[in-house]
Amino acid sequence: MTTISIDRVRHLYRPARGRPVLALEDVSLEVRDKEFLALLGPSGCGKSTLLYLMGGFLPVEIGSISIDGKPIAGPGPERGVVFQHFALFPWKTVRQNVLYGLERKGLPRDEREATAKKFIDLVGLSGFEDNYPSQLSGGMKQRAAIARTLAVDPAVLLMDEPFGALDAQTRALMQAELLNIWRASPKTVVFVTHDVQEAVYLAGRVVVMSARPGKVKAIVDTDFDKTAPDVLRSPKFGDMADHIWGLVKEEAIKAQMGRGV
Amino acid sequence: MAGLDDTVAGPGIAARAGHILARWGLVITLLIAWELATQTRLFTPFMLPSPERVFGRIWSDGQGGDLFINAGLTLYRALTGFFIAAALGLLIGMAMTRGGVLGWFFDPIISVGFPMPKITFLPVIVLWLGFYDTAKISMVVFDAIFPVITGTILGIKSVEKELIWSARSLGSGEREIWPQIVLPAAMPQMFTGLQVSLPIAMIVAVVAEMLMGGYGMGGAMVQASRMADSPGVFAGIIEIAVVGWFLVKGMALLRRKLLAWHPESDMPTGV
Repeated sequence: MTTISIDRVRHLYRPARGRPVLALEDVSLEVRDKEFLALLGPSGCGKSTLLYLMGGFLPVEIGSISIDGKPIAGPGPERGVVFQHFALFPWKTVRQNVLYGLERKGLPRDEREATAKKFIDLVGLSGFEDNYPSQLSGGMKQRAAIARTLAVDPAVLLMDEPFGALDAQTRALMQAELLNIWRASPKTVVFVTHDVQEAVYLAGRVVVMSARPGKVKAIVDTDFDKTAPDVLRSPKFGDMADHIWGLVKEEAIKAQMGRGV
Repeated sequence: MAGLDDTVAGPGIAARAGHILARWGLVITLLIAWELATQTRLFTPFMLPSPERVFGRIWSDGQGGDLFINAGLTLYRALTGFFIAAALGLLIGMAMTRGGVLGWFFDPIISVGFPMPKITFLPVIVLWLGFYDTAKISMVVFDAIFPVITGTILGIKSVEKELIWSARSLGSGEREIWPQIVLPAAMPQMFTGLQVSLPIAMIVAVVAEMLMGGYGMGGAMVQASRMADSPGVFAGIIEIAVVGWFLVKGMALLRRKLLAWHPESDMPTGV
């Protein structure tokens, strides 16, 4: 059982210069055990900030975030993270990147190597184990980063627009593969995105966030059978995406106005 | 997927010859221009001795052993200074990124000292340390340390926070972050600092020898100039250029070995 409770969290973003900005205002949210939850909203709505708070990378100053009742105190291996720009260790090969977390766990050598191989195979990178990240395409880098995170078997997977830097074809492939991996061994996933289709396709619930300051505007249940190959063109999918797009659109317009565009 | 597919056939002999010509073309052109300039009496042999005389002079310097003694001494001063500057510079740079008293102390010194011509301190160093190796090496250290410090600081400060966050969420403790993530991530820029610093060490060693006298390549050139020995002066220029070229090239090759993972290490080894 792994649930995340977010209770009336406010967060002030303090830039190096200029006035602090209220990034999140009274966000309350319950992330259920082994659900795939998407955080959706226009850029600057604080969805990544909320994810970093869950990751323990930023301190929770007002309100509280707890996992299974325990308040978060810093990052930990039970919460794996995948970033938009991969954050692979560039001086390590794919294999060494995947091994890094396993070494921290103190597993015996044979077991580490076997686990690394298993996850490199899972994401389809066999044959590229000894390549450095700079020798890989964007999609392959993200595959490596996902393997590295999954290898330590975190209870929670925090994903910050993981496919945002990839081209459209690669993104579609990776979405389908991620969904397959998650169906095979479900984990609690929090997935940040600004892509409505992606959110509806991947998640069982979509949290729509409002423009700055970020608040929970609506939570939409998107849990239906998505295993059909043409699910993206089904009327049900279309209606749901339309409904959510309607909710996001208002906020996107507000965000644009707020920026004076 | 650049870099994965290296099965392209090697270039033909003609292409390879063209490549070498393109690379050495400028040197060859300059040599021909030099030869023509002396042949046509555009310059007197005293103002610009012919290539034969200058290369003959380098040959005889080599045969007599002077070349190796002078080059060895200059290299000894430049490299000793460089290694001291590298070790101290890396330590000071790392300490400064941690803030605190060391940052407070060194920050203004670096800001004022970096753009300043350090050679202006030469008279002070002569007063304190005399004319011998200690003084010359100190001058080298004093000049070569700045790029190492700034390269180290820049490298450490520009480590992406996502790398540190990734490591932390993969189970690293606070103490493991510095040696396992920050230092390797900062390596390319630290090494760039060293690559800038090495030629400076060479330059300052030669200049210090010129100003303080004694053996060494700089000293030998000043000596030749005083004796109105014009082939000796020009031989010195070429000798110093060749030694410097080997140093810079060696550093670039070392970078390619140590930082094979870094895309910029594949770039041509020119500075």
